[in-house]
Amino acid sequence: MSAYIIRRVIQVIIMMFVLSFICYYMLSLMPGDPVDILASSNPKITTGDIERLKALYGLDKPAYVRYGNWLNSFIHGDFGYSRTYRIPVMELIGPRLFNTFILSLSSLLLSLVLGVAIGVYAGLKPGGKFDYLANLCAYAGISTPAFWLAIVLIILFSVAVPIFPAGGTITVGTNLQGFAAWLDRGKYLVLPILSLTALQAGVFVRFARSSMMEAMGYDFIRTARAKGLNRRVVVWKHAFRNALIPLLTIVALSMSNLFSGAVLTETVFAYQGVGSLIYKAIIESDFNVAMVSFLVSIFMVLIMNLIADLLYAAADPRITYD
Amino acid sequence: MSDENLQSFDDDSQALSMQQIVWHQFIEHKMAVVGMAIITIFVMIALSAPMISKITGIDPEKQNIFKRYQKPFSTIEYSQDDKEAAIEKFIEEDAERSQRIIAAARSANVLESEVTDEDFLFEIILSEDKSAQNRLWELKSQDISELESLCSRFTSFHLLGTDELGRDVLMRLVFGTRVSIAFGIMVALASAFLGLLIGSLAGYYGGWIDSLLSRFIDALLSLPSIPLMIIFAAVDISKIPFVGGMLEGENQSVLKLSIVIALFSWMTVARLVRGSILSIKEREFILAAKTLGARDVSIILSHIVPNVISPLLVAVTLNVGNSILSEAALSFLGLGIQPPTPSWGNMLFNAQELIFEAPLLAILPGLLILLTVISFNFVGDGLQNAIDPKSIRR
Repeated sequence: MSAYIIRRVIQVIIMMFVLSFICYYMLSLMPGDPVDILASSNPKITTGDIERLKALYGLDKPAYVRYGNWLNSFIHGDFGYSRTYRIPVMELIGPRLFNTFILSLSSLLLSLVLGVAIGVYAGLKPGGKFDYLANLCAYAGISTPAFWLAIVLIILFSVAVPIFPAGGTITVGTNLQGFAAWLDRGKYLVLPILSLTALQAGVFVRFARSSMMEAMGYDFIRTARAKGLNRRVVVWKHAFRNALIPLLTIVALSMSNLFSGAVLTETVFAYQGVGSLIYKAIIESDFNVAMVSFLVSIFMVLIMNLIADLLYAAADPRITYD
Repeated sequence: MSDENLQSFDDDSQALSMQQIVWHQFIEHKMAVVGMAIITIFVMIALSAPMISKITGIDPEKQNIFKRYQKPFSTIEYSQDDKEAAIEKFIEEDAERSQRIIAAARSANVLESEVTDEDFLFEIILSEDKSAQNRLWELKSQDISELESLCSRFTSFHLLGTDELGRDVLMRLVFGTRVSIAFGIMVALASAFLGLLIGSLAGYYGGWIDSLLSRFIDALLSLPSIPLMIIFAAVDISKIPFVGGMLEGENQSVLKLSIVIALFSWMTVARLVRGSILSIKEREFILAAKTLGARDVSIILSHIVPNVISPLLVAVTLNVGNSILSEAALSFLGLGIQPPTPSWGNMLFNAQELIFEAPLLAILPGLLILLTVISFNFVGDGLQNAIDPKSIRR
C-alpha cells in the first residue's frame, strides 16, 4: 500500500514538472511579454530602453533558461508578484483557493447526494416513468454548457425574480462577523453551487443507476429476498452498499471535471476563486499569477484524485494496490 | 425486436444481417431516434444556411448600429447610409433609367424645390416627408416600379430581433449552426484519428510503448481540460516556430481551436482502441495473417480497424457533443472562434453583460447547444446499446 502511495506521489510530482514547463512555454508564446505591456502604456519609451529592460529581466534569453530561473525561485518559495493586483502571488492565492474549495466541495457533496438518491431509485425500476425522467434529466445535465446554465440562473433568480445576487463572493464594504458573515457568503454561493451541481449530478445519476441495476441482479439479493427480508433492508443494506464502491472511482474521475466546471462558473458569477483567477490572469497577461494558480489548482485536483483512489481501496477490501 | 420482425424472421427462415440487427435495436431507443431527427434537421439547416439567407434576403453580417437589441418580431428600417448606398448602386446600374425617372418626375412636379439631377433621387427617397415619394410612385412606369421595389426592401423583418450590432439573431443562429456543428464533427473525426493512431500503437506493440502511452493517457485524463485548453488557446500562433506560418489565414481561430480541442479529446478513443486491440490481437485470424507474412500496418488497417469500427463510431458520436461544448466554452471566454464568424459559443460572449436588455440573446444559443449535444449523446447511447453484443437479443 505505502509503495503504491509513494509511486503515485512520484507520478504526481513528475506530472507537475512537465506541466509547469508546458505552461511556462505556452505563456511565453502569448501575445506580448511584460516589457511589451509596460512599453505600450508609456509613449516616451525608446526601443533602446525596451531592449535594456528585456536584458535586465532576462526576457531576451530563450524560454528554457527563463524557465530554469523561474523554477529556481519557485522552489525557494518565491512565487513572484502579481502585475495587476500589485500584491505577492502567495497572498492572492490563499483566499482564492479557500473560496474554490468551498464551492467545489459543497457542489460535489450536493450532487453526490442528489445524484445517488435519484440514480438508485431510477435503477430499482428500470424502464419505469421515474427512470425515464431521471435519465432525461441526467442527459440534460451532462449536455448543458456550464457557463450557459449559470447565465440562465442569473436571468431567473437575479433579473426576473431578484432573490440572489448575480455575482461576487461577499458583500463589499460590510464587516460582518461570525454567523452573519457565513450567511452573507452563502447568499452568493447559492447560484454557483446550483449550476455546478446540475452539471455534476447527471454523471452520478447515470452511474448510480447502472451500478444499482447491476447490484440488484446479484445472487445474494435473490437470497436476501427469498429469506423474507424487508425490501428496504435488501435495497439499502445489501444492494446499495455494493453499488457504492464503484461510485468512488467516478468521484475520483469527476474531480477534474468539477474543476473545469468551476473555472467557467466562477468566471460567469465573478466569484473570487482560483478558477476565475487562472482565466483572468491569462487574459490580463499576469504571468506569475497564471503559472502559480494553474499549477496549484492542478496539484489540488491530482491530490484529490489520489485520495479518492485510496478511499476506493479502503472501501473495498478485495482491492489491493501493489 | 418487435413481433412483426420476428414474424418475418420466421417466415423467411433467414438470419438478419448484423446491420439489420443493429438498426432494429437502434430504433427501439426512442430518445436516440428523436436525437437523430434533431441532428438531421440541424445538419440540413447548416447545409442550406446560405440559401436561407438568400431567400429571406437577410445578411448575417449586416450591421445596423441604430437598431440594436430590437425585440423579436420587429421590422426595422435601413440606416440612411445604407439607403444612400443602395440608391447610388441603382443609379450606377443604369444611368439612363434614372435619367428617365428624373425627367418624368420633373414634368409631374413631384418635387417642389429646385434640386440638381445628382441629388434628385436621394432627396425624394431619403427625406422624412414621404409625400414626394408617394407622388412619384403614383406616376407608374416600369422604371419607377423598379425603384419602388428597391425602396420596399429598405425595411427588414427580424423574427428573433437583433443583437448588439443590429444583426439579425435568427440568421446568425442559422450560420452559427453551420459553424458549430461542422466544427464538432471535424474535431471529433480528428481526435478519433489521433486516438486510433495512438491506441493502436499502444495496443498492438505492447511492452514499454504500451506502458508509456497508457501512463500518458491516464495522466491527460486526470487533468482538468478547461484550464489546459485556456492556456493553449490563448497562445499567439505566429510566435510558434514552424507551425505558425502554416496556420495563417482567414479561419485561423477556427483551425487553432480545433487543434487545441482535438489535442485534449483523443484519450477516450485511444483507450477504447487499445482495449479492443489487446483482445483481438490474440485471436487466430491475426496469427494467420502474421503467418502469411502480412505487415504490421496491413494487419492493423485491414484486420484490426474493422473490428473496432463500431465502438469507435460510438466514441466519435459522443465526442461531437463534447467538442461542441468545449468550443462553446472557449468561444464564450473569448478564446475560441473569433467574430465576425458566428458560432453558438461566441454569440454568448457578449450576451452575458446584457441580460437585462436582451435575455433572449443569452438564452437562445445555449438552448441550441443543449439540444444538439443532448441529441448526439442520445444517439451515441442508442448506438452503444445497439452494437453491444451483450444487449443484442436475437
